[in-house]
Amino acid sequence: MADCGCDKAKQALEEYLHNELCSEEAADIREHLEGCVDCTDEERVNVVLREAVQRACDETAPEDLRNQVMARLREGQYH
Amino acid sequence: MSAVLECPRPPCERVGSKTMDAALEAKQALFVEQALPHLDQLYGHAMRKTGNPADANDLVQETYMKAFAAFESFEQGTNLKAWLHRILENSFINNYRKAVREPFQGSVEELEDWQLGNAESRTAMSSRSAEAEAIDHLPSSAVKDALQNIPEEFRVAVFLADVEGFSYQEIADIMDTPTGTVMSRLHRGRRLLRDQLTEYAAEQGIGLAPKTGENRG
Repeated sequence: MADCGCDKAKQALEEYLHNELCSEEAADIREHLEGCVDCTDEERVNVVLREAVQRACDETAPEDLRNQVMARLREGQYH
Repeated sequence: MSAVLECPRPPCERVGSKTMDAALEAKQALFVEQALPHLDQLYGHAMRKTGNPADANDLVQETYMKAFAAFESFEQGTNLKAWLHRILENSFINNYRKAVREPFQGSVEELEDWQLGNAESRTAMSSRSAEAEAIDHLPSSAVKDALQNIPEEFRVAVFLADVEGFSYQEIADIMDTPTGTVMSRLHRGRRLLRDQLTEYAAEQGIGLAPKTGENRG
């Protein structure tokens, strides 16, 4: 099987990491990544960036907010 | 439903509308059971939209009230999470957009990459592995700031994809935009984030980051 090449791998990398590719396309990218240090580094930056965003956005709503929503539902203030 | 809404006080322990009360109670119980578990995620979304806890609080409350009022129209067994996030987007557009106008007119989609400060070739790091290492060690406050600095459409798309794990199609439905636009927002949003974070890390001396100023592309 011919390697899909760096250009295609880099272009499809985001879709690959988000599981948006069909299994055949994903297999092509995976195969290329296994043999290419440059693209693997690029993949790593993407993964680390996603994890950093996840950590930064890991929020818990204030407990008050839950109570306020519940109170408004109970009191029938839907508008 | 209108009978319930016309009730001036909480419909409680009186009058002859016992069956209505029971139906309303059942609807409330189902709604609380199904929709309330998404509170933290909706709050996170609202924080990305409004940028501050007080407005995020209001936006989430409004989202829940609208969702409850429309709960009959929600088809059980379909994607409740996406439905709630979509209501949040719509609520924001209706009520907050005018107040928090972006500084430019028109859509960010019309901006060229150079206008967004994007430069594919520029990187402040000596290598990609150094860049990954640096981003991995950044404090969350720096990442939050960087997120806040990119255009809202990009920020929300990145949040919905990378934090909430929605598919491109789901994000397209939530943001009411074609999937091609979603992909473009994600790509440009991540690129802007990455540039900012890499630059910040280099300035702070986080990661290996030898700041030579002569990096090749």
